Amino acid sequence: MAVTARARGIGSDRNLAYALVAPSVAVLLALSIYPLIHAVTISLHVSAGGLSRWSFGNFVRLVSDRFFLSALAHTMIFAASALTIEFLLGLGLAVLLNQKMRGRGLFRAGLLVPMMLPTVVVGVVWRLMLNTNFGAINGTLQGAGFNTTGLTWTSSPGLAMISIIAVDVWQWTPFMFLILLAGLQAIPQEPYEAALIDGSSAWQTFRHVTLPLVKPAILVALLLRTMDLLRVFDQVFILTEGGPGFATETISLYIYRTAFRFSAFGYAAAMSFVLLLITNIISAFYIRVLQAREL
Amino acid sequence: MKTNQRSNGARRLDHRSPGITLAILCGAILFLWTIGLTACRRNEPQSGKTLTLAVNSGVEGDALKQAALDYEKQTGVHINIAEFPYANLFEKELLDLNAHTGAYDLIMLDDPWFPKFGKQQLLTELTPLLESRGQKGPDADFVPASLALGREPYQTGALYALPYVGNSQLLFYRKDLFAMHTLMEPVTWDEVLSAAKIISEQETAGAPGGGKVYGYVMRAAQGNAAVADFMPIFWAFGGEMFDAGGQPAVNSAEGIAALNFMLELGKYSPPGYASFNADDVGAHLLQGTAAISINWPAWISSFSDPAKSKVIGKMEFTAMPGAKNPGRAEIGNWLIAIPRDSKNKEAACDFLVWATSAEQMKRSAERGNPPTRKSLFNDPELVKKFPAYPAQLRSLESSRPRPRTPFWNEIENAFGIYLSKANSGELSAVDALNQANTEIAKILERGK
Repeated sequence: MAVTARARGIGSDRNLAYALVAPSVAVLLALSIYPLIHAVTISLHVSAGGLSRWSFGNFVRLVSDRFFLSALAHTMIFAASALTIEFLLGLGLAVLLNQKMRGRGLFRAGLLVPMMLPTVVVGVVWRLMLNTNFGAINGTLQGAGFNTTGLTWTSSPGLAMISIIAVDVWQWTPFMFLILLAGLQAIPQEPYEAALIDGSSAWQTFRHVTLPLVKPAILVALLLRTMDLLRVFDQVFILTEGGPGFATETISLYIYRTAFRFSAFGYAAAMSFVLLLITNIISAFYIRVLQAREL
Repeated sequence: MKTNQRSNGARRLDHRSPGITLAILCGAILFLWTIGLTACRRNEPQSGKTLTLAVNSGVEGDALKQAALDYEKQTGVHINIAEFPYANLFEKELLDLNAHTGAYDLIMLDDPWFPKFGKQQLLTELTPLLESRGQKGPDADFVPASLALGREPYQTGALYALPYVGNSQLLFYRKDLFAMHTLMEPVTWDEVLSAAKIISEQETAGAPGGGKVYGYVMRAAQGNAAVADFMPIFWAFGGEMFDAGGQPAVNSAEGIAALNFMLELGKYSPPGYASFNADDVGAHLLQGTAAISINWPAWISSFSDPAKSKVIGKMEFTAMPGAKNPGRAEIGNWLIAIPRDSKNKEAACDFLVWATSAEQMKRSAERGNPPTRKSLFNDPELVKKFPAYPAQLRSLESSRPRPRTPFWNEIENAFGIYLSKANSGELSAVDALNQANTEIAKILERGK
C-alpha cells in the first residue's frame, strides 16, 4: 500500500517536474541552443558576390591569418604567465594567512579588495597610473631619482605585455588565494599531528600532507582562472586596446573587432569555436593530470 | 495499471495546488501584459506621423536631438530618438538596414561608413525627393567637399545623404613658442619638422610645470589613430592607398618616404606615442608639454577653458602643410541619410532639409559642431565665437575623404597596426608598409 502511494507520488512528481522544467528549457532553447546552432551555421558559411554558401572557408582562413595566429600566441603567453604567477602568489599567501598571526582578518579582507572592483575600473585606474608622461608610477620613480626614459609601460611592445600581465596578477591573485585558503582550512588537524609525530620537516609536511589534501581546491582555482584568462577582454581593451601595433591583441579582442567592426560574423564565430576548443582541451588536460598523478 | 495511476496522480495535481498556482501565475502575467500594453499605448502620439531617428551619443547627436524636439513643436510630427554610442551606431544601423525592417526613417552616419551603405544600396536617393518638394537638388551653400561625401560613387554619383557636421583636420601649434623662436606658420612638412626640432632642443624646461616641451605630438596607436595622423603626410608626400587599377600601393616609394618622415617627427614626440590616442595628444597640448599636432576641431574650445588648459590664448590653428603635393586634411563629416526601407520617406526628407538648413545648422554650430555651409563659416557672429572658422573652411574645402571603400574599417585596422608597429620600433618603415600592403590586398581579395 505504501509502495503504491510512493509510486503514484513519483509519477505525478515526474509530470510536475516536466511542467516546471519546460519554461527553462524553452528559454534555454531560445537563448542558448538556437544561437549556438546559428553560430555553427554562420561559421560554415562564406559569402561571395552577395551570395552565401556552405564552406569551410572561415576555418581555412584561420590557418593563414597572421593576425589570428599572433593573437593566439599572445593569449597563450598572457594566460600561461599570469596563471603561473597568480598561482604561486596565491598559494604562498594562502599558506601564510592560514597560520595564526596578528591582523589576519584585516589582511584577508584587504587582499580581497582588488577582486571586488569592476575590471573596467581597475583597467582605467591602471591605465592612468601607467601613463608614461603623466602617470603616478613614473612620477613616483622620478621623484625617487630614477630615470624613467625607457619605462613606456603600455606603449612599447615588450613592456605592454608585462603591464597587462601585472594588472591581471594584481586583480586576480586574490581569487586564487581565496579558493586555496578555503581548501587549506578544510584540512583536518589529524594528518598534521601524525606528521609531527613521525618527525617530518616543515617542507615534507607541506609536500606530502598539505598539497595532496588541497589538491581539489587547486584544481578548481586553476581551472576557473585558465578559462577566464583565455577569454580575457576587458583589461586589455582598456589598457592597450591590443597595442602598440598588435603586441597585446588577444583572441577575444580580435574576435570582437572582426564581428563588430568588420561585420565578418562567420569568421568571428569560427574563431570563437577554436577558442572554445582550446579552452576545453586545456581544461580536460588539467583534470586528467591532477586526477591521475598523486602530488 | 500504471497509466491509471499516473492519470490519477495527474488529476489529483490538477485539482489541488497546481491549479491555484497556475491561476495565480496566469493572473500575474496577464496583469503585467496589461500594464505593459497600456504604457505602450500611452507612449504613442495622439495623432500625426512618427519618425524614428538613429543618432550618435555625443555632441553631434545632441544637436540633432534638440533639432528634433524643435521640429516636433513646430510641426506636430513626433520623432523617436534611438541613441547609440559611436562604437555601436554603425553596427546597429548596418544590421537593421540589412534586415530591411524599416525601423529607422533617418540615420546619422560617419562619412567613412557611407561607402558600405551606398554600395549595398541601403539608402534612399534624395534628388527625386527634393524635386518633389520643388527643389532642383541640394543648395549651393554646402561646401562641395562635404556634399561630395553623400554621393555614390564619390562626388559624381547619385545623392544619398546630406552633410550635417563638417569636421576636417587642422594643424595645431603654439604661436607663443613660434614667435619666441622666430618661426613662421608652417606651410610645408619640412618646416614642421625643423620647428619641432628647434622647440624640442631649446625648450627643455619651457613647459608650465618646468618640464620639457616636445616639438611635436602625434597619436600612433593602432587603428584609426595612427592612420588619421599619417594620411595627411602620406598624401602630401604623393602617396596613394590604391593605384589606378584599384590595387593597394601603400608601399610605394612615396609611401615609404612619408612613413620615414613620420618616424623622424616621432623623435620629437613624447615617449610612448606609439600607443597615443586622441586623449593623450589632447593632454600634452593642454598641459603645454607639446607644441605642434594634427588634431580635430572638436578640441579647439578646450584650449580656452581655464579648468583644463595651461595654454590659454597660445594656440593657433591652420590648414594642413604640404610637401610634394599641397597639404590636404582628412575630412570627417557626420551625414544624415534616409534608409531605403523607411516607410515615411517624404516626412523624413522634410525633417532632413529642415535640420540641414542654414538656420538650424547655425544652432548646431553654436553648440560646437562645425557646419557644412559656407555661409555659416563666414557668419560674423559665429566667427567671433569660433575664431578658427576661416582656417577650418580652408582646411575643409581642400580636404580629402579616407579612401572610399566598403572595407575601410578593416583596412584602417590593418594599416594602423603596421603604422603603429613602425612607430613603436618593432618594424622598419619598408617592412611595415610591405606587410600592410599584403594585408590590404588580402582584405580586398576576400571582399570580391
